[in-house]
Formats: sequence, structure tokens, C-alpha cells
Amino acid sequence: MQRFRRSALVIFAAGTVVLAAACGSGGGTTTVTKNGGATPTDSKVLTGAGSTLVYPLVSQWEPDYATKAGVTVTYGAIGSGGGIDQITARAVDFGASDAPLTADQATACKGCLQIPWALGATVVTYNVKGVPNNLHLTGPVVADMFLGNITSWNDPKIKALNPGVSLPDTKVTPIYRSDGSGDSFVFSSYLSAVSPDFKSKIGTSTQPPFSTGTGAAKNSGVAASVQSTDGAIGYVAISYIAADGLNQALIQNAAGKYVTPGVDGIKAAADAVTTAQKDGSIPLVNPPASAATAYPLSTYTYAIVPKSSPKASTIKAFLTYAITDGQQFGPDLGFPPLPSAVVSSDKTEIASIS
Amino acid sequence: MSTRAESDFALPKRARLHLGDLALRGITGAAALTILIVLIWIAYKVTEQASDAISTFGLGFLTSSEWNAVTDQYGARDLIWGTAVTSFFALLFAVPISIAIGLFLSELAPRRLRGPVGALVELLAAIPSVVLGLWGILVMGPFLEAHVEPFLNDHFGWIPLFSGTPSNVGLLPACLVLTIMIVPIVSSICRELFDSVPSDLKAGSLALGSTRWEMMRSVAIPQVSGGIVAAVILGLARAMGEAIAVSQTIGGTARTGWSLFGSADTLASRIANQYQGAATHLQQSSIAYLATILLVLSLAANLSAALIVRRIRRKLGAR
Repeated sequence: MQRFRRSALVIFAAGTVVLAAACGSGGGTTTVTKNGGATPTDSKVLTGAGSTLVYPLVSQWEPDYATKAGVTVTYGAIGSGGGIDQITARAVDFGASDAPLTADQATACKGCLQIPWALGATVVTYNVKGVPNNLHLTGPVVADMFLGNITSWNDPKIKALNPGVSLPDTKVTPIYRSDGSGDSFVFSSYLSAVSPDFKSKIGTSTQPPFSTGTGAAKNSGVAASVQSTDGAIGYVAISYIAADGLNQALIQNAAGKYVTPGVDGIKAAADAVTTAQKDGSIPLVNPPASAATAYPLSTYTYAIVPKSSPKASTIKAFLTYAITDGQQFGPDLGFPPLPSAVVSSDKTEIASIS
Repeated sequence: MSTRAESDFALPKRARLHLGDLALRGITGAAALTILIVLIWIAYKVTEQASDAISTFGLGFLTSSEWNAVTDQYGARDLIWGTAVTSFFALLFAVPISIAIGLFLSELAPRRLRGPVGALVELLAAIPSVVLGLWGILVMGPFLEAHVEPFLNDHFGWIPLFSGTPSNVGLLPACLVLTIMIVPIVSSICRELFDSVPSDLKAGSLALGSTRWEMMRSVAIPQVSGGIVAAVILGLARAMGEAIAVSQTIGGTARTGWSLFGSADTLASRIANQYQGAATHLQQSSIAYLATILLVLSLAANLSAALIVRRIRRKLGAR
């Protein structure tokens, strides 16, 4: 009996040693690959995390880049906020976010670049019994709805924009993102740009402090909430409109046109504004009236990379691929190609990674 | 000293020398110690992260209702309120149901039914909270909005709890989702507790002419009341700490009000929603402050449960 116990203990101890050795050798393997890589790039593996908006595009890049460059890219669509946290902690090689970094986030990220690498849009959606798709709305009217100044769908201000559409007196229920979101950022920066009232009472943020309506988590939560609430108005990333069969509102742009959210409208907005801010971001909301067909809630989504990285050359090669060859997959998925001016300014940014 | 002497007395000397026993003691002790270390580590890290918010807002954080990422002002009052209301009502619904299920399964149900029904109740606990939350927002919420809330509002609208406009998200759906999550835990513990009441006590009570209900009320329930309190506290901890299902159904709006139909938010749900990608350092720190409050609240709940259990034991012992 005693002998049996002792042998059990020995097996247990041996198991621990084997386990420890296995972990140790796991760590060793990576080093070997790094040292043994004779390719021009310094790694065969890249990991990234963040934005769900850009995920359909990245998921096309992954297999294509694996065959073209022999580098395995693994991307986790965990949300923009998560992506910023992960790259700040250097848990991944690149992050992706739909909203540019805030000042505090940029400080915490210790010298991160934000490179605009795809185009998208936020779409205002609604669900009112008896009201057809493609309702006309303006920024100030949407702002009034989210401020609680317009409380009924047959308000004269909405009626004036939609002659011939019969609007019921259903109560307006604004639905917004309760988590931090790039869509909230685009939405609130657009409304702040067109409504001084919204700017002073709510302001621009990934988590705007809305004072009326109900919150829902993630795009899927907003979509579900809008669908199950008569009188709801909300906002989602453009891909959710088709995927969930939601209504879209046509928002009047600075030129006075009601633009259908889509590749053409986003491309027009991107062509109109190509100069980057000091932090590398290019705000596209509310483009000037000269862009007659621009969709007013367009946005860039950004790759966020550290200026210095042990995998610098691999990251540079991948980002260059993403903004050039990689763009060909975009139009089919609803991403217009990047304007050439942005591609060239991106290249300058990418060159500064070391 | 006295415990040492007792254990010396309890174990023969040779047994203590067994390598196997030593290893057993080492492994189990290490397991217990790991939990302790992890707990202290988490508490330390959370408070450390919260330190900036604590020094900026102080205790005023607890009474301020402001939560504004634009002006960088934060306060926890509405979230503490939301946590208190959802946990209270979830327990109010769940405890009687759980005790009833426990009594039914241990005393009343035909023997053949006990296994399957018990297993089904416990299966509820295995549903991922995100799935329950989705069901809450897609199925239960609209049902409540269309049928239950208008009924309550029409007939009991004079009670502040049932005032306001019916809505598919808000406190009521969140309370009900929490109830569904608590019932399996509390009811399976209650069932075990009632099973543990010595059958001669039950039989004696019945032999003296008690009805089944009198037997349960005067013998079974008092016998295990300490255990029931402990089970309820476990349920309370679950209710206070649940984040995902609540964040899906509560509406995510910080608000203090009596209406169960309105949106609100809880500590845990706000942490889950906004920790990732917090816009400013102070916001991240404020969210850690929320986590600190949640830790303190759970600790307080557990301590008071321990006190209640001890008092009940003493009372029973004195009788």
C-alpha cells in the first residue's frame, strides 16, 4: 500500500517535470524560428485584434497574404476598444480601431501610429410601423430626436422632410450603444458638427452621455433593440443594415442631397477630405458641400501599430499590402478603395516604423 | 495551541508520517492558498487601478450621478442603485420559487420525477448568460412590453414601481433574467438541505398529526434555515456580479427611479460595457473604482451571511 502511494507521488512529480519541460520548450521554439528565419522579414506570424467593422476585409487578406508572402496573419475581431487595449499592452502586433485614439489612449500606447486602412460608415436606422425604408432626415433633426426635443414621429420637422409619407404619432425611442464604440464616435461627431445644441449638451465621444432613450450593447444589440421597438431610431455600422434587414435613413449632406449609405457615397466623402490631422486621423463626417454625393457619416477605420516593434519589417510589409493589393477585395464587401492621396501618406507613415 | 493538541490526539503518530498524507496535505493546502493569493492579488490590482479615481472623486463618487466621458466626470450612485434594485427583486422572485422547488423535489415529488426535474432545473444553470441575455432581449422583453407591463400599469399603476411607459428593456427584464440565473443555484442547494433533514424528525412530526405543510414549516425549514440563508447569499453574489445578461437587457442608462419599466444600469454591466477602450485614463480608473465597490459589497454580503448563519445556529443550539 505504502509503495503504491509512493509510486503515485513519483508519477505526479514526473508529470510536473514533463509539463514544465513542455512549457519551456514551447518558449524555445519561438526563439528558434526567429533566429532561423532566413526570409527578408523578421517573422512569419502576425497577430492583430480590434475592430469588427474591418473584419470582413481582414478575413480576405489572411489567406491571400499567407499564399503571397508566406506570413500567417491572425486577427481577432474583439471590438475597437479591446484592440486599443491589446496593442497598448503589446499583446498583439497590430490593433484596429474605428475611432482614432483619444489623447489619453495615445499617451498610454507610447508612440503608436494610426494608419487609415479602410473606409466604412455609420448608418441611422429606425423601426416605425407603417413607415417605409429610406426615410429622409437631416442631422439637426436626428440630433433633436436624440436630445429629446422631438418626441413623436409625426413631428412637423420630420413631416417637412418627407412629403407624401404618412407618419404615425408613435413615440420616438432613441437607441444608442452602451459600450464604447467607433459608431458612437462617428455619430456623435457628426451631430456635434451640425447641431450646436448637441455639441454643448452631449459632445463627441466613443461613449456619448446621451440623456434620453435606452442603451444596447454592440451593433448586434442595437440592431435587435431597434427591431423589437416600435418607434426606435438608432445607428449601426453599415454592414448590419443588409445583414439584419434594417431600415436605413437617408441623411441630408452639406450639399442638400439625401444620400444612400454605400460605396459611392463613402468614396465621395473620402475623395473630398484627404489631409490627415496631427494625430494621423482623417475625420470624414460632414464633408464640405463641394462633395455633392458624399455620405455625411463616413469614416476611416485605423490600423494601430507601435512605431518600434521587433517585427517591424513584417508589419511594414503587411500594412503596405493592406493599403495597396488588399484594397481589391473591398468593393464587393462594401469597402470603397482608399484614395491615392491617402495611400501615399499612409506609405510615409509606414516607412517610419522601425 | 488547543487545535494542535486536538489534531495530535486525533491522528495516530505513524499516520502523520505517511508520505501520501503529507502530499495530500500539501496539494490541498496549495489549492486553498492559490485561491487566497488570487483573491488578494485581484483586490490589490483593482484598488491600485482605482487609486486615481479614488483620489480625484473621493467618497463623493458614491453619491454623484454624473457619468460623462466627454467632461471626464464620473460617479457611481445610479449604478449602485441599479445593482441594489436588480439584486433585491431577483432575490424576491427567486427565493420563494427556489425553496418551493427544493421542497417539491425532496418531499413531494413522486420518486420517479425527482431525477429528471432536478436535472432540468440544474440544466438552466448551464445556459450561457449571453444566450439568456439574447433570449431576454428578443423574446422575453417584447412579451413583457406587450402584455405584462401594460397589465401591471393598468391595474397597479398607482404604485411607483409600475408607473411609466412599458419598454422591452429595463429593470424588470433584467430582474427576471437574473431570477432565472439564480433559481438553479439556490433551488439545488435547498433540495440538498431538505434531503439532509433526518427522516425520523420528519416522520415524528407527521406521526404527531402534522400535515405535510406543518411538518415542512415547523421541522424541515427551521432545521436548515442557516443553510438557506447561505444559499440565498450565493444567489445574491451571482445577481450582483452578473454582467453580460444584465447589460443586454437593462438598457444601459444610468438612472435612479422607482419604475421597473425604465432603463438603468448596474456596476457589473457598466464595467463589462466600458472597461475596454475607455476613452480616458480617469474613466478606466473610475471603472476600477466601480469594481472596488462591487468587491466591497460582495464581501459585506458574505460577512453578513456568515453572521446570520452563526446567529441561527446559536439559536437552534440554545433550544
